[in-house]
Amino acid sequence: MLRKYNTLFVVMMVTALLLSACGSSTSTPSSTSLPASSVQINGAGATFPLPVYTEWIYAYQYVDPSVTLNYQGIGSGGGKKAIIDNTVDFAGSDSLVTADEYTAGKDLQMYPMVAGAVVPIYNVEGVTQTLTLDGNVLVGIYNASITKWNDSAIAALNPDINLPDKSITAVHRSDGSGTTEIFTNALSSFSADWKSKVGAGTSVEWPVDKAGNGIGGKGNQGVAAAVQNTPNSIGYVELSYAIANKIAYANMINKAGNKVTANADSLASAMNDFANTFTDELTNIIVDGPGVNSWPIAGYTYIVLHTTSMTDCVKAQKLLDFLKWALSDAGAAKRAADLGYSVLPDAVRTQVLAKLGAVTCNGTPVLSNS
Amino acid sequence: MDKSPHSLTGRRPAPHWLAHLRLALHYGDRPWSALTIGMALLTILLMLSIGLLLWGDSSQARAAFGLSFLKPTSDASWNPVSGNFQAWPFIYGTLATSLMSLVLAVPISLGVAIFLAELCPTWLRMPLGWLFELLAAIPSVVYGLWGIFVFLPTVVEPMGNFLASTLGELPMLTLFFHGPMPASGSSLLAAGLVLSIMITPTIAAITRDVFLAVPLTQREASLALGATSWETIWKVLLPYGMSGILGAVILGLGRALGETMAVTMVVGNSIGGSLSLMRPGYTMSSIIANEFAEAVTVLHSQALIEIALVLFIMTLLLNILARLLVWRVGRGIPQEARA
Repeated sequence: MLRKYNTLFVVMMVTALLLSACGSSTSTPSSTSLPASSVQINGAGATFPLPVYTEWIYAYQYVDPSVTLNYQGIGSGGGKKAIIDNTVDFAGSDSLVTADEYTAGKDLQMYPMVAGAVVPIYNVEGVTQTLTLDGNVLVGIYNASITKWNDSAIAALNPDINLPDKSITAVHRSDGSGTTEIFTNALSSFSADWKSKVGAGTSVEWPVDKAGNGIGGKGNQGVAAAVQNTPNSIGYVELSYAIANKIAYANMINKAGNKVTANADSLASAMNDFANTFTDELTNIIVDGPGVNSWPIAGYTYIVLHTTSMTDCVKAQKLLDFLKWALSDAGAAKRAADLGYSVLPDAVRTQVLAKLGAVTCNGTPVLSNS
Repeated sequence: MDKSPHSLTGRRPAPHWLAHLRLALHYGDRPWSALTIGMALLTILLMLSIGLLLWGDSSQARAAFGLSFLKPTSDASWNPVSGNFQAWPFIYGTLATSLMSLVLAVPISLGVAIFLAELCPTWLRMPLGWLFELLAAIPSVVYGLWGIFVFLPTVVEPMGNFLASTLGELPMLTLFFHGPMPASGSSLLAAGLVLSIMITPTIAAITRDVFLAVPLTQREASLALGATSWETIWKVLLPYGMSGILGAVILGLGRALGETMAVTMVVGNSIGGSLSLMRPGYTMSSIIANEFAEAVTVLHSQALIEIALVLFIMTLLLNILARLLVWRVGRGIPQEARA
């Protein structure tokens, strides 16, 4: 018995030594490479834009080495709570700030940063070609009125593909998610019936679950794994996730009746469709746009800031500089497009930059010339 | 012992330094016992504060839904958009998966423990016991991943289809065993099976230790009376260690009730309203883990907190019930047998 514990003790000591060795070897270079006057800016929130924010933060080290940015993907709800409690300098959110949260946060403002697409992924026996779907088919599958892959509505869109006579398993996110909100916003726009009976939100009550053909997967990876393991299933994930993991995704017929593929161009087209319909809070829903080339299942993700109560003006300046860079820099746009996001088109960017110009610190505007 | 003239005058000599030390240590008893009482109270306080917090933070949801929140119904609604919440599918899912895992894990664990403690050759006992303890140390997310990619497609799905086509056809059992099984295998059955694998090592390890703690004299007495080794195990060891074994089962049940990650990954996360174990379901810990981070409305997050409250109370009640059971069983064993 005693010997057993002795061995355990030795193992623990060795582990502790190794850990401390790793800790010192990684922390030393980073602390020496940063200038002494570095500004630490913390953000937290939505996981939807996490890949692109991480990429931008990495790239921004070379633009302004004096600032250290940090963004944690804790979920939109957590991010909004954190900015209200002033535990972060900026929050990321896919869901809108509610009236209660505006009251609690006093001077919050949302700014669209980047748009992302949600794409249908599928696993159909014997089908290797890219499927084409439309709004009615997606609504039909998720409200359990279309239950077979060889349903005439799907077959009509894919005349060259031999679809099996197999029932469809519909996979959705089990965790509350901005991805689900964009997807259900789109379904609500495709169908008035869906809008009145189910609606849109970070999590909804899926009719296909009631019918017994729905499965929930946790996170993008949970949905992707469920679709991979379930023959004749369909699911939805972020475009960025599908690109990073080389998952095939369906094309959609958009409102204009054209077949479109999800990418930065079709996202920009969707944003342009709604460039003039922003609310005072600078929020917008951009699903099912009328543009010829618009991807129909798209959404903005937002940054949330305090507009008048920031007190550390150096930090405020650095933060807004970063946001302005992310919105305007060509390199930043390229990085976003490679990951499956799209930065704002000019018509939207000017509105966002104007609002950012209104941010003040101790009464004076933070961005001197915007 | 003191030969100085002082002793004759009646004055007591100064105590030896060792006596001082003893005295000091003796007075140390009191702070020490106060410290331990404080720690024990802290645990109770912690428990109470968790309960109170859950109660307080779910006030709006409790006011809005009342007892209908808990009502067993086949068309329960969990609708964050319209703000209508009922917890029955999650309560059923948690109970069904935990009880199923106990039913499967207890006999297996008993078998493993009896083998390890009584029948196993000595050279095999150490490595085998060690392997089993290792099984208990595997993180639950690993069980979940293994479940999704290996266990569900190869074992659960065919097994579920077999059960659905046999038991599922019988008149009464069809309620709990009707199909069809989803092709991915995600179902309450999958969650129950994965849970049973997770709690077997816990129950088996403790039960083995219980058996090993039974005095050798008990075995010798039984064998001397002419009992076979099987009779000794069944009629002497098992009753003797019953309260300890029940304790092990409670620990297993506790793990099964609270397990979140592995269950979420295999249970299907779907509210179907069916009681069938072959269908996808949902558990209380899973819905909390899934939706709490992005619960936007106050009512939504409060409904989730109320589910946490229900889970808290359920765990408490099951523990009390199990304690009572242990107590009853403990009383059933004559004290002289334990001497």
